[in-house]
Amino acid sequence: MIEVKDLVKYYKEVLALNKISFEVNEGEFFVVIGPSGCGKTTLMKILAGVLEYNSGEVYINGKNMKGVPPHKRDISLMFESYAIFPHMKVFDNIAFGLRMMGKDKDFIKRKVTEVLELVGMSGFENRSPYELSGGQRQRLALARALVVEPPVLLLDEPISHLDYQLQRKMMEDFKVLHKKTGGTFVFTTHVQEQALTLADTVMVMNKGVIEQTGKPREIYLAPKTVFAARFVGDINLIPGEVVSKDGDIYIVNTEIGELKSLANGELPAGAKLAYGIRPEFVEVENKTRVHDNQLKGKFDRFYYFGNYVECIFDIKGKVEVKSAVPTKKAVDLRIGKEYSLGWNSNNAALLEKPSVIEGLNIEEVIYGK
Amino acid sequence: MVRHTRYVLLLPGLVTFVFFLIAPLAIMAVMSFFTPVWPGYRTDLTLNNYVAYLTSPQFRILAFNTFSTSLVTAFICMIIGFPFAYCYTFKIKSERTRNYITMLLLAPFLIDWTIRSVAWISILGERGFVNSMFLSAGLISEPIKFLFTPTALFIIWVQTNLLFMIFPMNLALGRMDPEVIEAAKVLKAPPYRVFYDIVFKMALPGVICGFIFVFVNTISDYVTPSLWAGGLQTLGLSVSNYASQFLWPQASAGGMILLVACIIVLYILLKVVDIKKLVYE
Repeated sequence: MIEVKDLVKYYKEVLALNKISFEVNEGEFFVVIGPSGCGKTTLMKILAGVLEYNSGEVYINGKNMKGVPPHKRDISLMFESYAIFPHMKVFDNIAFGLRMMGKDKDFIKRKVTEVLELVGMSGFENRSPYELSGGQRQRLALARALVVEPPVLLLDEPISHLDYQLQRKMMEDFKVLHKKTGGTFVFTTHVQEQALTLADTVMVMNKGVIEQTGKPREIYLAPKTVFAARFVGDINLIPGEVVSKDGDIYIVNTEIGELKSLANGELPAGAKLAYGIRPEFVEVENKTRVHDNQLKGKFDRFYYFGNYVECIFDIKGKVEVKSAVPTKKAVDLRIGKEYSLGWNSNNAALLEKPSVIEGLNIEEVIYGK
Repeated sequence: MVRHTRYVLLLPGLVTFVFFLIAPLAIMAVMSFFTPVWPGYRTDLTLNNYVAYLTSPQFRILAFNTFSTSLVTAFICMIIGFPFAYCYTFKIKSERTRNYITMLLLAPFLIDWTIRSVAWISILGERGFVNSMFLSAGLISEPIKFLFTPTALFIIWVQTNLLFMIFPMNLALGRMDPEVIEAAKVLKAPPYRVFYDIVFKMALPGVICGFIFVFVNTISDYVTPSLWAGGLQTLGLSVSNYASQFLWPQASAGGMILLVACIIVLYILLKVVDIKKLVYE
């Protein structure tokens, strides 16, 4: 449906997109995740045709989009700023696209009513945009982008500026909407939860490059770079060096001893890398040993999150390891006491690169130096 | 007591306003109903001044000249000013360039009004700048007569008033989120619809505001027409003629008619668009 090849975009001397290539299949819910300034919005505007690019190719529905103006593309874009027409009522805002397509009055009225119902804003037709709350404006922007029934709907940070409760509700709504319309959605966000929950495919971006593309589960469990691993969730990272391989299991030598990890691909002995394990896989063990990685750590401090408690353990005074302990279990832990921590090697990840951006030192990236 | 002291700050402005605007207007309004006796007036009230003015055969011509020249000038300023304001706001990215342009726009106002008026001779005169350019370029064989024609009036008025059109337009366009324009493009609007439905309509409060500035400025100006328009008669000129002969009641009646007509035009313009949108929202 969308194919991007070696896309390059400069803002004066600043490189915003550095030769990125990816494909979005028809009917896919494609989520682009990355920190602000990573090029998400630039990418969306280039796809929509409102921004020029320096080189590369963009295909939508098999057609090269070079020189095709926005109003002749099979897309619709919901802006991060919503970009609602301030001088028009809600009805006229939504009807605008249909009027431009030359639809007749009855059709427009029916469609606008339908889409307002879909976003839960029936009866708001004659309101001015200034009389709407943030959430209502957001839904108006969505309705306006949806009503033209685009084969590809681009959504630029559509729910990032809403409060948490509303975000959760809108995430469900987007999922339902995607099923209902069967269209191709490209959605950007900087929130990991939105990416992992909504996406069929996630693309992690960083400073104009793609860190990793894959299914949410792949990126969460088998991240390729430190950046990708961190952006989709919290992770313990310990710098180390590959010592040997035992079947599928790599032995990694770190400051706190040898750790095991299951990994695909070939890593040479002596390869410098980061050993990663997500906090929810690190368990505080009882006496019986059940995991193939085990450490002793002193319970140093904790952060309470309600459904779990993030406990931080000090390992030999050298490394801190986080563990997401279920609240029920955490009440038994005492600060200052030593506990046995364990996790399975198939939940760990070996990260060779800090980022796909060259020239970064992995230890500096991990410790934020 | 303390609560009222804050209004003291309003006092200087209020006094000026009352003494130099409200009071003279009130005097003029009353005077327009007095009976003229040359040289001076009697305080007997009469409607004759108005009747004479409105029924005189020249009135229609005067009114037409006055309003058509002002409205046409405002319209020309709008046509020239809008693309200018659009480029200024959206196309010129460098703050430095913008400042230079603003300075150039303001420069003529640093010159005294009298000198600026006389300067038109060297620009539009038969041996002036424009004619010599055209002559030497071979575009014309004889100098064009600009001065003392209505054309000169339009050229001079447009030049002196363009700024008052451009400023409110800039204000309106500057408040526009460029993403709104992008949104219209994405929603299948071809370029001319983007311009009309979005850019122009959103700038409308600024356009109307500029229109009013130019209109009010030109309709109250009787000196420029009397100097350069080659005998074009306007309401302002006739009021000034009566006043120069000390026919105060007639002059006042003429002034009141002009004032009321202006108020009607402004009322209609303000009905068209909510000018408050220029500042609030």
